[in-house]
Amino acid sequence: MSTETLTPAPAPPRTAPDQRRQPIRGRGNGLDIVKWVAVAAGVIVAVVPFIWMIGTSFRSEADLFAHPASLLPTQWTLHGYKGVWDQLPFLRLLLNTVVFAGVTTILTLLFDSMCAYALARLDFRGKTIAFWLVLVTLMVPFQVTLIPVFIELFHLGWLNTYHGLIIPRATSAFGIFLFRQFFISIPRELDEAARLDGASHFKIYRSIILPLSKPAIATVALLNFTALWNDLLWPLVVTSSPDLQTLPAGLALFGGQHVTDHAVLLAGAVISLIPIAIAFFLAQRFFVAGISNTGLK
Amino acid sequence: MKKKKSVAIGAIALLAAGAGLTGCSSSSSSSGPVDLTVWTGFTGGDAPGYKQIVKDFNASQSKVKVTMTVQPWDTIQQKLPSAWLTGTGPDIAAPAPDPNVIAQYVKTNSVLPLTATGSGDTKINTSKFASALTKEFTYNGKLYAVPANYATLSLYYNKKLFKAAGIASAPTTVAEFQADAKKLTTGGTYGLSLADNNTIQMWPILQWLSGGEVTDSKNCSALQTQASIDSLQPWVTLVKDDKISPVGQSGAEADSLFSAGKAAMEINGPWAAPGYKSAGIDLGIAKIPVGDDGTNVTLGSTAPLAISAKTKHPTEAQQFLAYWTSKSTQLKFSKSTGFPPLRTDLSDNATLKADPTVSVFASQVPDARLYLPQVPSATQVDANGYVPFIQKVTRDGDVSADATSAAATINQLTGCSS
Amino acid sequence: MTTGDTTWGVKATPHARTPARTPRWRSRPAWLFMAPSLAILGVFVLWPIVRSFWYSLHTWTVGATDQPFIGFDNYVQLTRDPQFWGALLHTVEITAVSVLLLLVIGFFLALALASENLVTRIIRSAFFFPYVVSLTAAGLVWRFLLDPNIGLVDGLSKALGWGAPAWLASTTLALPTIIFVSIWKNVGFVMIILVAGLKGVPEDQYEAARLDGASRGQLVRFVTLPALRPTILFVSVILTIQSLQLFDLVYVMTGGGPLFTTDTLVTLLFRDGFVNFQTGYASAISWVLFLLIVIVSALQLKFFRYNDVD
Repeated sequence: MSTETLTPAPAPPRTAPDQRRQPIRGRGNGLDIVKWVAVAAGVIVAVVPFIWMIGTSFRSEADLFAHPASLLPTQWTLHGYKGVWDQLPFLRLLLNTVVFAGVTTILTLLFDSMCAYALARLDFRGKTIAFWLVLVTLMVPFQVTLIPVFIELFHLGWLNTYHGLIIPRATSAFGIFLFRQFFISIPRELDEAARLDGASHFKIYRSIILPLSKPAIATVALLNFTALWNDLLWPLVVTSSPDLQTLPAGLALFGGQHVTDHAVLLAGAVISLIPIAIAFFLAQRFFVAGISNTGLK
Repeated sequence: MKKKKSVAIGAIALLAAGAGLTGCSSSSSSSGPVDLTVWTGFTGGDAPGYKQIVKDFNASQSKVKVTMTVQPWDTIQQKLPSAWLTGTGPDIAAPAPDPNVIAQYVKTNSVLPLTATGSGDTKINTSKFASALTKEFTYNGKLYAVPANYATLSLYYNKKLFKAAGIASAPTTVAEFQADAKKLTTGGTYGLSLADNNTIQMWPILQWLSGGEVTDSKNCSALQTQASIDSLQPWVTLVKDDKISPVGQSGAEADSLFSAGKAAMEINGPWAAPGYKSAGIDLGIAKIPVGDDGTNVTLGSTAPLAISAKTKHPTEAQQFLAYWTSKSTQLKFSKSTGFPPLRTDLSDNATLKADPTVSVFASQVPDARLYLPQVPSATQVDANGYVPFIQKVTRDGDVSADATSAAATINQLTGCSS
Repeated sequence: MTTGDTTWGVKATPHARTPARTPRWRSRPAWLFMAPSLAILGVFVLWPIVRSFWYSLHTWTVGATDQPFIGFDNYVQLTRDPQFWGALLHTVEITAVSVLLLLVIGFFLALALASENLVTRIIRSAFFFPYVVSLTAAGLVWRFLLDPNIGLVDGLSKALGWGAPAWLASTTLALPTIIFVSIWKNVGFVMIILVAGLKGVPEDQYEAARLDGASRGQLVRFVTLPALRPTILFVSVILTIQSLQLFDLVYVMTGGGPLFTTDTLVTLLFRDGFVNFQTGYASAISWVLFLLIVIVSALQLKFFRYNDVD
């Protein structure tokens, strides 16, 4: 990507007046074919791993080894799912994961949008520093802070508790950053007008900014929810009690040292995907369709 | 400005208040059974065997109640040091599947020296353990862990492929082993499935069979010695020129090659048998062929079980370890998992001998050697020394030159000064 | 524990001297709005980062009674560690290649699929779905898919007579394969954010350009790209940060091998910190990584002129 293409040009070029004026889609049918072939190839690459994964979760080992080129089972078996079901306290894990991912996501939406509101809409000294402090927290892999965080949680007495699981994850720099970029694009005149009417900042945030930000909320909610849902390490660090274990932590045990049954492993992966798929299709309507009102900046 | 500060303080106070609420919930009552927690990373086919031990122990008496939590080994490795430091960890843990890891915990005084040793069912019968094991867990004359299991490696072979190649039985000498591997390598199949990373080590066995060594008694590298080079060279030639095995396989890939019926032999532990059978392999299991000097050798692998130095119940914890390693428990465990018993007084047991799978693994217990026993920084010697060494020589390296550079790396890690 | 507190407490002090143009009452609520987030991030991220710097100045091991202070020796040792240089190189390679390709492919997909109808929506979902799957699951599935014996990729390739490369066991193929999977995983994210950005480009800008006879390429270059600048900034900063911290995918697929050819800074620091118990040394690696990320992000923000978008 060259520097030039990214530099904004002040104005569109003026071309010779005699050039044919034609709507954009009228041109380059050949290019269109190439484009759709490329997109179709991409879709296949994107989707096939999931079809294979679901298919293989229903296969026996013998079938898998005998027909590696086959996308779907030649014989279907449920033993992968039985294996997972028999060995895990499934509902308990599911409940814990829903509580962890759900409650944390709600808190994250609140705290992130509030923080982003200040960063995007208010002028104050130290704004750049505050923004950087937030951004910097994105820049450290969790492995680095694991030991100090564990020791902190111990001193707070938060190990093996729901709030120990939730509060440290109740805000995310990613969400703040995304909200901030979004809020900036909302016309300032809206809150100026409300302020003249004597509205407080909280009122502006709540009744002007948030209602206009549904697409951003849906995006952050989905991305946070899935990130938390998929998070294996954090719940395992905070909790060692089986009562507080989450689904990925339970499923991780099928991927241990001497795994001999691919179907069980992949059945576990498929199961952990289902709630995400549901969340995804629920949110997808919102954040792709709704986004057209206000652009993400 | 004042207000801002108070907000900050308020936020911190709120966090702290939450801390206070739960801080006092961890009081243990004096009556009722003593609760012991155990962390392990055992998964796969042998996992139910360990769970059964805990269940049986809890049923056998009413004074101690053990709860075992299974987590991935990676997680235990990341969490256990901090957990034991802060005293929030389990009373007992298997810190890793690698026995050498105990050295690190001994260094930081995190594990309890075991004193309840001796004979009888209530004591840890160290004298009955396979000798390599007690030695491995003893530092400065004190025992710091017991083996949670003991696996030996055997030679798995595919009877169908053997028949097709006209070979009647599994190889019994190194010469036969090498000749068979070559003969069994045809267009579509490999003679032997060797892994060199993310696996239980197979290559040291090949070297040991012909008089090679990885390290010597002073923890110096022995890879560069002529004997070691000579032991390795034929296998390297077989892999590079005769293509008896794919290069650079991980343990999982090596297993799947064998499961797919595309390799005639593989060296592996007892945990692999159920998977191979369910993949439909006509399976044979044999002892590792006899070495050039006529002695038997194979690799033994064990996971340590250790007690936290900060446990409130050292007596009960040791009682549990005594139960875990007791004769009757081990007999039951061997029967259900196919693992050989970690005790020498079970090697002649009739029921175990009758089991065709267990008997092969159990019969090799006296010959088994641990990989890098008590070598300082053993995990790094493996990861930065031996693994890359094998990966290099099987690709485009030169055995003697690579051995020299691997030796330098290893000696630096172990602090060997000769 | 009070880093967050003092840092912003102190920084907030001069607000009284802000120019009169800015009404005073605007400043105070700002910190109130940010308090929960900053408190949490301060306690659970910023302070631990500072702690890890402290560790990096010691031969630090969890639980040891003696943690000898060694100044910057860990950092000096890093400069002589070939594994560190290798990991740094791979990390930079993975980041440069994958971020660049992600932006190009993601932008192409966004342009192709920006219109709203059932087909584009379904296709967008297909591309986006890999992003919401955990890296561990994705790594696992791809490890199996690429397995020379059971995997579909080599199964098909053999059926077509192309042979079966050992993707992850090859010193030359392993790194590109990881980059490919990383692109597969993230391209939908880039696409979806850019689609959202495209919707924000006012139609009249296109209209004006079209009236001036701009070609399709010119429209993209002179209307779309400038208007997308803040969005591209967001995406590239996030992708770069994520990519420089790549761990799970590599850990699951190759563990850094073969012969360390896919080792990244985070797999290296994981090994040193948690397998070899050299927390001090691992912390030094993490600080190098941290500074690298800070510098790269600062350059990106400067390059995209982050400040003038608001």
